[in-house]
Amino acid sequence: MANNVSAVYIHVLDDVISKVRDEFINYGVGEGVLNELQALWEVKMRQCGAISGNIERSALPKNAAPITPVHDLNVPYEGPAEEYETPTAEMLFPPTPLQTPIQTPLPGTNDPSMYNIPTGPSDYAPSPISDIRNSIDLKAGRPGSYMQPPSPWMSQRPLGVDVNVAYDEGREEPDRGSSHQHATQDFFMNSSGKRKRDDYASHINSGGYIPQQDGSGDVTIELSLTQDVVSQVKTSSIVQDQGTADSKFLSKKAEPALMLPQHDGIHDEYDDLFHLQGVANEDYNTPGDHVELRAATPSVGTPKPSKNDAGEDDEPPLNEDDDDELDDLDQEEEETNTQHLVLALFDKVSRTKSRWKCTLKDGIMHLNNRDILFNKATGEFEF
Amino acid sequence: MRLGFRPTSFSLKYRDQRSSIGMCLTETLDEMVSTGTLSPELAYQVLVQFDKSMTEALETQVKSKVSVKGHLHTYRFCDNVWTFILQDAVFKSEDRLEQVKRVKIVACDSKLLTQ
Repeated sequence: MANNVSAVYIHVLDDVISKVRDEFINYGVGEGVLNELQALWEVKMRQCGAISGNIERSALPKNAAPITPVHDLNVPYEGPAEEYETPTAEMLFPPTPLQTPIQTPLPGTNDPSMYNIPTGPSDYAPSPISDIRNSIDLKAGRPGSYMQPPSPWMSQRPLGVDVNVAYDEGREEPDRGSSHQHATQDFFMNSSGKRKRDDYASHINSGGYIPQQDGSGDVTIELSLTQDVVSQVKTSSIVQDQGTADSKFLSKKAEPALMLPQHDGIHDEYDDLFHLQGVANEDYNTPGDHVELRAATPSVGTPKPSKNDAGEDDEPPLNEDDDDELDDLDQEEEETNTQHLVLALFDKVSRTKSRWKCTLKDGIMHLNNRDILFNKATGEFEF
Repeated sequence: MRLGFRPTSFSLKYRDQRSSIGMCLTETLDEMVSTGTLSPELAYQVLVQFDKSMTEALETQVKSKVSVKGHLHTYRFCDNVWTFILQDAVFKSEDRLEQVKRVKIVACDSKLLTQ
């Protein structure tokens, strides 16, 4: 019942005030401040509807303190909350000693022993505030920049999506090839700034080939890159019997260019595949020409065997974008409606196939603009 | 940093802005600190006490039981905190039925609460 909720809130309020009274006295802050706190808090709760007005309790002047108008609480919290976030953190971490309240917000040093406000999400991994805010704002955005880089960047064969991971791997594998040295050096350059990708990518094109470390091979190809790869492979790889060195490399390199140009060895099944398709028949006089000929295939989109190979040998699509719509939908919904939220403790969470069951305890639910408290809750969800 | 702050993750939940009572308190404290009426340290103490009081109140004062049913869109378990996102959920309590299109449930481990 709403009355019950109000009663509980009032009880909590009174309880808190009475228990901090001693603290206030210890700090030498007068009771006036305490009363002001209580009054302000209560007023806010009335205004947002958390408390109904008919509760009997020790009398207190309701409008004792001058009250700043509360912003419209029917507006979703995202905006106003964020306005409070940064200024609060700045105000509450003043560089000067604690006893002196600072009027102007200063970018103070972050003293962890002080007020560890919810605005420090990194401190509490499970913090729901960071969880909510991050998941809504940051995580939705960040994975985009990590896992779905803009296409020009992708096509230039970057090092790897996660710079942190790539940084370590680059160190461990300096022997993979001459081309990799470029990678290592560039790693050092780029580990500090992720925004340098574009510059870095162009460097790759000129320098050589970098093996992809972040997932399945990508289909997009740079013509110029292929040429470089071909010339590089030609110099470093082994000649096989089945064809001229040129034809081998060209046919081989153009094909896996669709997937992953190899530089760690030529002897694989791709060779046989190419032979089946009668690639060796073609006359390769100039490496450049035929690379273009080959590379033109994917761009033209003609259904040739190479295409099929790319489809079959390629790893299954990552389906990275499947949830984008859903995520966006979720975000939109939050902006238009109030976020429905349940905060509780869990006793048990279990699952059978796709059926989830959980028992929760001592929770607050904020649904349809209403607060509901519960002692126990059972949940059955279908995944 | 979670040194000795076990209740913090839990207490933050109630302070979270979307819990009305927590939000009102946080706002009040913010205002008072920004005007210099209250020191940040003291404000923090108030919040700590609020967490304790809120927890205790929920344990002792509230007796209602609720059942939840819905389609589970997302589940996550990280740092002993379960986060569920339900779609088309129905919340049934003794006297009321609430239906929401989308709701997030954040639940901390009840066994980890330090008294």
